[in-house]
Amino acid sequence: MKRYLVQRLLLFVPTLLGALTLVFFFIHLIPGDPIEVMLGETASAADKEDLRHALALDEPIFVQYASFLGALARGDLGRSLYEQGAVTEIIRARLPATFELTLGAMVLAVLGSFPLAILAALNRRSWIDRVALLLSLLGLSMPNFWLGPLLMIIFSIHLGWLPVSGRGGFSHLLLPSLTLGLGMAAILTRILRASLLQVAGEDYVQTARAKGLGESWVWLKHTLRNALLPVITIVSLQLGGLLAGAIITETIFSWPGIGRLTVQAIQTRDYPLVQGCVLTLAVSYLVINFVTDICYRLADPRITYGK
Amino acid sequence: MILLSGGCRFPGSSDHPPGYLVVGIESNPLELDPRYATDANSVRIDALIYNSLLRADDRLRLRPELASEWKMTDERTYVFELRQHVKFHNGKAMTARDVKYTYESMLDPRNHSPKRPLLKALEAVDVLDTYRVRFRLSVPHAPFPEQFTIGIVPARSNGMETPGAEIPPGSGPFMLDTIDPGESITLKANPSYWEEKAPLAGIIFKVVPDAMVRALEFKKGTIDFLQNDLEPDMLPWLKKHTDAEFDAHEGTTFQYIGVNLNHPILKNREVRQAIALAIDRASIIRHLLKGFATPASGLLSPIHWAYNGAVPQWSFNPEKAKRLLDHAGYPDPDGPGPLPRFRISFKTTNLDLRKRIAEALKEQLARVGIELEIRTYEWGTFYSDIKNGNFHLYSLAWVGVMDPDIYYQMFHSASIPPNGDNRGHYSNPELDRLLEQGRRTTDAAARKAVYVQVQRILADELPYIPLWWVKNVTVQNAAIKGFVPYPDGDLISLKKVSLQNRLP
Amino acid sequence: MENSHWLYAGTTILVLVIIAALFAPVLAPHDPARQDLEQDLLTYSRSHPLGTDKLGRDILSRTIYGSRVSLSVGIATVTLSLAIGLAIGSLSGYAGGWVDQLLMRLVDVLLAFPGILLAIAFAAVLGPGLHHVVIALCLIGWTGYARLVRGEILALREREFVQAAQALGCKPHRVVARHLLPNLLPPLLIQATFGLAAAIIAEGSLSFLGLGVEPPTPSWGAMLNEGRQFLLVAPHLTAYPGLAIMITVLGLNLLGDALQDRLEPRRR
Repeated sequence: MKRYLVQRLLLFVPTLLGALTLVFFFIHLIPGDPIEVMLGETASAADKEDLRHALALDEPIFVQYASFLGALARGDLGRSLYEQGAVTEIIRARLPATFELTLGAMVLAVLGSFPLAILAALNRRSWIDRVALLLSLLGLSMPNFWLGPLLMIIFSIHLGWLPVSGRGGFSHLLLPSLTLGLGMAAILTRILRASLLQVAGEDYVQTARAKGLGESWVWLKHTLRNALLPVITIVSLQLGGLLAGAIITETIFSWPGIGRLTVQAIQTRDYPLVQGCVLTLAVSYLVINFVTDICYRLADPRITYGK
Repeated sequence: MILLSGGCRFPGSSDHPPGYLVVGIESNPLELDPRYATDANSVRIDALIYNSLLRADDRLRLRPELASEWKMTDERTYVFELRQHVKFHNGKAMTARDVKYTYESMLDPRNHSPKRPLLKALEAVDVLDTYRVRFRLSVPHAPFPEQFTIGIVPARSNGMETPGAEIPPGSGPFMLDTIDPGESITLKANPSYWEEKAPLAGIIFKVVPDAMVRALEFKKGTIDFLQNDLEPDMLPWLKKHTDAEFDAHEGTTFQYIGVNLNHPILKNREVRQAIALAIDRASIIRHLLKGFATPASGLLSPIHWAYNGAVPQWSFNPEKAKRLLDHAGYPDPDGPGPLPRFRISFKTTNLDLRKRIAEALKEQLARVGIELEIRTYEWGTFYSDIKNGNFHLYSLAWVGVMDPDIYYQMFHSASIPPNGDNRGHYSNPELDRLLEQGRRTTDAAARKAVYVQVQRILADELPYIPLWWVKNVTVQNAAIKGFVPYPDGDLISLKKVSLQNRLP
Repeated sequence: MENSHWLYAGTTILVLVIIAALFAPVLAPHDPARQDLEQDLLTYSRSHPLGTDKLGRDILSRTIYGSRVSLSVGIATVTLSLAIGLAIGSLSGYAGGWVDQLLMRLVDVLLAFPGILLAIAFAAVLGPGLHHVVIALCLIGWTGYARLVRGEILALREREFVQAAQALGCKPHRVVARHLLPNLLPPLLIQATFGLAAAIIAEGSLSFLGLGVEPPTPSWGAMLNEGRQFLLVAPHLTAYPGLAIMITVLGLNLLGDALQDRLEPRRR
């Protein structure tokens, strides 16, 4: 187990490095010049060259890459080209909002999907199953940018229960979490249902039901634990997507999270900030992956790494 | 843990503190230091936090603010008498030293201020007295007074500072209270303002990127004030579902089509004129903009002191357009059939309204036999393309036009990028001469005569094809009293605004 | 018995969508690009049964033509991703060793990199347009298939019939093609149907971010995005393309489910 842990941890670094290198070269190769955005229309060519030099943006790209890596080793992500402050500070300020939203979405997704999936698996081919399927398909096919405003109009304007957008108390968290979590809930419902059925096997389920509720409960406890394994994998995969996919939800709900920050940074060609954001997202994804692997391994010792 | 603490009030949340006005804006202001601010939101917020020597009024005339009086002692020298008893928000008194410091820090190349090129003509700023300051230019430069509208910041004891380190205090009617990055900027009324204290307790600028969400927040009551950046079709809905007050005023924002004059077809003046004739501006304004614009003949709108209305207007005339195109050597190969005379590309940003307008233009030009290929880009790539001359036609707007010297930046042959904004590479020696004259002449009447000619040439040559002047639309909560709209969208009148009959 | 219902329902829906796509010029009553500013935002009229959009274009025609774009984006993305994933996955699974490690690390890197950002960045570099959307979506999309293929190959490689084939001297690629691929087909097919649905939605999200098909090309995603601002004043602008997406995704998922039940009754 320890060997496994160490192996996985070691893989962390090259993967991260790979992701960072990818984004570094990518963002620098996109057309568009941050100097232009910073100095605006009226600056002369000489002024622009001056600023470019001061920010070390005129060095060959490989030199810039080397300094980037060097600074990274010291834990320095540089300064944002626009916002006041160090990249680490800016990102740190936005992290709580991102975690809040992601957690909210996950909680709602689990709360919504688990009961539905269990009911559907227990009552296969009944109307509950059908409804669960349709609901999950609905969740899968509604894009965030449509669902969000729809929920706003219903719950915030017509019913007046909730605020429209922005971050604040619990009531502010509800609609964005719902928007972000619905897609996840849909996937979870289907995966969990399929997994429950596979693990249990059809006959077992019918037998358990026939024997009465007590049996069902035992089945649930035993089968559920095994059925959760593939679900955990999928969830961790989705979670990574959730972090970045929250971009649209964050924009619609004016949620001050990392996703919106990253898009803004790309639009203004704020290279240090983009790199910092991608680093953050990549690290989160790898950490989640890592934790999932551990849980998986703990839950099922038969699974070995590699061949 | 985070959810449990949800009951706590987060700063900048949509709670509506009593006496505060909430203004909805669509993006985060990039830089609040007035010496570095270039984007519209930053500039408008700065106008409330900082005072400047002069300020433009709602007719675009420069009026003294921090200056109690000012004069030109000769063609190259301006002397200002400053108000006494003005204090910065940190309690320090404002003197001529602060003025000198502000301008010198912008001139310092180490600070990389975007205003530096605008101050190129400034040779020196001298403190004559505690409350008297003199500006000496190296050459007579008529447009220079526009630079006296930059906010004044207090002098620092050590001189040089890192740009963007900390936002300096101002002396204006509001002071900066808190910034929630990405969420809001809160201003508090300045209790010791040298004019009368603002009736409002404060202003919250709330960042809401999506236009429809801004309208929903307004309906909900969490935003009190919106200016521009709204979907035109949402305005009738707001009118019906809220008791908001609406205002549409003539503005200076100029929407135009830029032309690449190196393009073999577009370098032909008759082709450009034909395109101008083929556009039915009135139809687009009526349907897509819901009437919130005025067809334009050129950059300067009728509000402007140098406006010349006696120029070719290019009103919608598709038949004449077709004749011009025939005459220019581009006949329609199959008459009314689908084959076009020629194809050109049209670049625009990917905002919904811009795309819609592009599509309407495509349809209108198709009717005279020109096929337009619409290409939409996100802003950074778009801007880069037009700077590099990588376009045929593009659409953009000039915001905040004040001094007609801006024509120099747009059309003088020395202003070809990267040294200016002559993106179409227009070159006309007669225009060059007039533009140089316009910036040297300090007599107002003589200047006007120069720019009258400039406008006539440009309306004939059409290096830009004018579209319209955008009206400034404000949507205000009925409790707001006393707002005066400014043609360039300035929000300075918020210092006199009060809230009445407000429900907490 | 119930399975067939799902299968038929799913297939029927898909066939209808494909027919709409193939015969759009015949089925659509109007030119989808034809504008009429005077007739904007109609909810219903005799000649426009589904109404008109802001530029006065017929929504029914645009929805029908939209199936072309949405389907082609989906099919192209999935096909390309599948091809790349198959190639890399089988190489990785079959070769093993450092080749396997390297390729799987590459997959990890791409997965760690926020996909949608890559799409944004790519679209910014390449510019707008349908084929660029496909490329952007494929960049990340192939990783799922690669992992799947690799996993299957690793499992199957140890099976007797493969070892027998190898002992008989079959070349590796022949082993893969003749013995491994047929076993791979079911899970890949199922993944593909789900992937198709995901691609159709992703195109819409890219439209929201301002990258996607060029105007005036009608695609369901772009129509959803264009109509979004009019949700309060003209909800039919988003309702119809949204419904089209939902029905198509429903069909695809029904098909995928039914295939899953049919082709793999008991996995592992």
